[in-house]
Amino acid sequence: MIRVNEKKVSWREGMTVADLLKILSDSDHCAVVRINDKHVSRPFFEKTLIPDNSDVFLIPMIVGG
Amino acid sequence: MTEIKMETIKTFDYDKPSIEKGYANQTLSIDISDSEISIKPVTDKMKDVFIGGKGFDLWLLWNAVKSTTKWNDPENAICIASGPMGGTPIYPGSGKSIVTTISPLTGTVIDSNVGGYFGPYLKFSGFDAMEVSGKTTQDVIIFIDGIDGNIQILKTFGLPVESYDLSAILTEHFGKGKPRNISVVSTGPGAKNSLIGCLNFTWYDLKRKRARYKQAGRGGIGSVFADKGIKAIVARWDTVSVNTNNPADVSELKKVGRKHSREIVELDPKQNEMAKIGTTHLVTIMNDFDLLPVNNFQYGRHPEAVNLGQEVYRRIFDPGYDGCWMGCTLACSHGVKDFVPLSGPYKGTKVFVDGPEYETIAGCGSNLGIFDPHVVVEMNFYCDTYGLDTISVGTATAFAMECFEMGLINESHTGGMNLSFGNRLSALEVLHQMARGEGFGKVVGRGVREMKTIFARDYGADPDIMQDIGMEAKGLEFSEYISKESLAQQGGYGLALKGPQHDEAWLIFLDMVHNFMPTFEQKAEALHWFPMFRTWFGLCGLCKLPWNDVIPEDNKDMPEPAKVVKHVEWYAEYYSTVTGKQTNPDGIIRMSEAVYNFQRIFNLKMGFGQREHDNIPYRAAGPVKLVEYESRQERYDKQLTEKHKVDITGKSTEEKNAMLRNVREELYEKLKDAVYERRGWTDNGIPTMETVKRLEIDFPEVLELLKAHGAE
Repeated sequence: MIRVNEKKVSWREGMTVADLLKILSDSDHCAVVRINDKHVSRPFFEKTLIPDNSDVFLIPMIVGG
Repeated sequence: MTEIKMETIKTFDYDKPSIEKGYANQTLSIDISDSEISIKPVTDKMKDVFIGGKGFDLWLLWNAVKSTTKWNDPENAICIASGPMGGTPIYPGSGKSIVTTISPLTGTVIDSNVGGYFGPYLKFSGFDAMEVSGKTTQDVIIFIDGIDGNIQILKTFGLPVESYDLSAILTEHFGKGKPRNISVVSTGPGAKNSLIGCLNFTWYDLKRKRARYKQAGRGGIGSVFADKGIKAIVARWDTVSVNTNNPADVSELKKVGRKHSREIVELDPKQNEMAKIGTTHLVTIMNDFDLLPVNNFQYGRHPEAVNLGQEVYRRIFDPGYDGCWMGCTLACSHGVKDFVPLSGPYKGTKVFVDGPEYETIAGCGSNLGIFDPHVVVEMNFYCDTYGLDTISVGTATAFAMECFEMGLINESHTGGMNLSFGNRLSALEVLHQMARGEGFGKVVGRGVREMKTIFARDYGADPDIMQDIGMEAKGLEFSEYISKESLAQQGGYGLALKGPQHDEAWLIFLDMVHNFMPTFEQKAEALHWFPMFRTWFGLCGLCKLPWNDVIPEDNKDMPEPAKVVKHVEWYAEYYSTVTGKQTNPDGIIRMSEAVYNFQRIFNLKMGFGQREHDNIPYRAAGPVKLVEYESRQERYDKQLTEKHKVDITGKSTEEKNAMLRNVREELYEKLKDAVYERRGWTDNGIPTMETVKRLEIDFPEVLELLKAHGAE
């Protein structure tokens, strides 16, 4: 089990960030996520594994700067 | 308590006006040449057209200077203002000051926004804005005592030259046991000896019992301040509550303020964690998207960038509340406790460092090829206490380093320094020399534009290549983002009124990552709406971070999510509850348009503000060197063939690079056309008569100026 924006989501072995975003309905425009204290950006979504029991946050960074 | 030797040159008593719906309804004018102090009324027309903040600054400055005024002429004024919402403790980010003057770098108007307590304290003391003109050979302090209703001009002796120590002593001296009642504006020796000086504005950190610092960094305002002979400006005010600003509807203000405050408390820990790590999260994210400037903007990423990221600074920052204005729940002004510099006058002593933020890390770190987080902290400390802008220091030093690596300059010019990228000791030495006004550091402190002239004239360097790699536009050094792959951001930089600073439009993610604006019309619309909306924060005394660095959870379901419309509506409510003038999101844009166009016309008055002045160095638009092309070859080859239908079969990198340049330079010119049309400007980038009439900025001098430039 992992928590995504504080909501519980089922975890499976080998789950990547890209896998997670596919099953979420609110991941539009998500270019960056935070897994615990580590940021992961879109170019690395496909190859970044999410460890079990992680806290994942979708960072809605749109117009910053 | 430290004893300070001062002599009173002038003392001026005044009756404090009551604040009415966010306004003191008067401004303060000081000429330090003859110690004249006067008060000017704020008219209804001023409030209707210019709103406050930067709008008031521009109006005061417009009336203070002539078209021939240079930055170091006595009539040049430094204008500082808050805004109608400035000083509200219940709404996050409501403590900003805006500073304007004629810049030594650009020759025209510069504006810089800054946190700290000064702007609100100035307003509550009775002044929506202040202008300081004149020059003096004495070190003077201007003391505005809003508690006793008195202003003094004081001659000082023997005070420290470094800004941090100076502000700490003045806070203690004028605070009379209540240091939180004081805000100090000061600069340091670097400002006096360069053209890229900044101003430090203080706020008082109750927990750490020390003055803390925010910087009005851009455009050399600190150098104007030092050139005038001003040692510091000090404001004194008492306790602040939501009623101090006397808003029109306190009850509704509290409602909207609490909504925004609570949302930040709830969502910031889930999003960017700015209350813990400030803007440091941007470093690795920019690196991942190939947007982090490395080695003078040549590249957008580096394998060692993680050393400068939030995971490192999270451990280095001193934890605790770091709000630069009272009650701000975003509280992003972090600092480093007990830092021990390895060089310079503070070598081996423990100091507190305010920062670093993203721009400083990228400018004084990756862009110099330096990936040591402690060297960045040391650069940050010395820039601040010397009174130097970290962005211009970074970009100017990066340019000098590339010129050195290319052999355009050599050790005979640098005083024996090896100025290769990554040379930490040389980067620090350049900074120390700059502050002392000595050696090669003094040359770097003149800024990129003047360096290009000096290197060509005195060292025989090739002016054409320096034009391509020297990252300045309008004379101002670029802030720290790679804009090569985002045409909209090239416009965000090149079309910005004061020069390439990202506070007008930061469109990289919308354009490059999200592809929200594929057409010219969409880019032009973005380059209208975003600069206008962002301008509004500077009119009102606000920080823009609460608008879009914490995003409502339902934002994705809103129309135009990029605008964060729910927050825009809250800001319209906020304005209405304070001023009693009802507005809406369109009304906000309308307010900004008037001031924005006025500033463009101000540029025209000073001899700029036309199409040619919106040009950018080619490196901002594409790869200059073949190694830059090769670092993104796949992307560039694909763009040439698929997007621009260019046959690259059998072409060398040099030939492809030349083709890409032709395409990109043409696109940038087309972008100018689209944006000028959207903004209601001529194809030479000048507001039309119709535009200035619609915006009610058709003052006689404006119309005369436009006519002289052929606008109809």
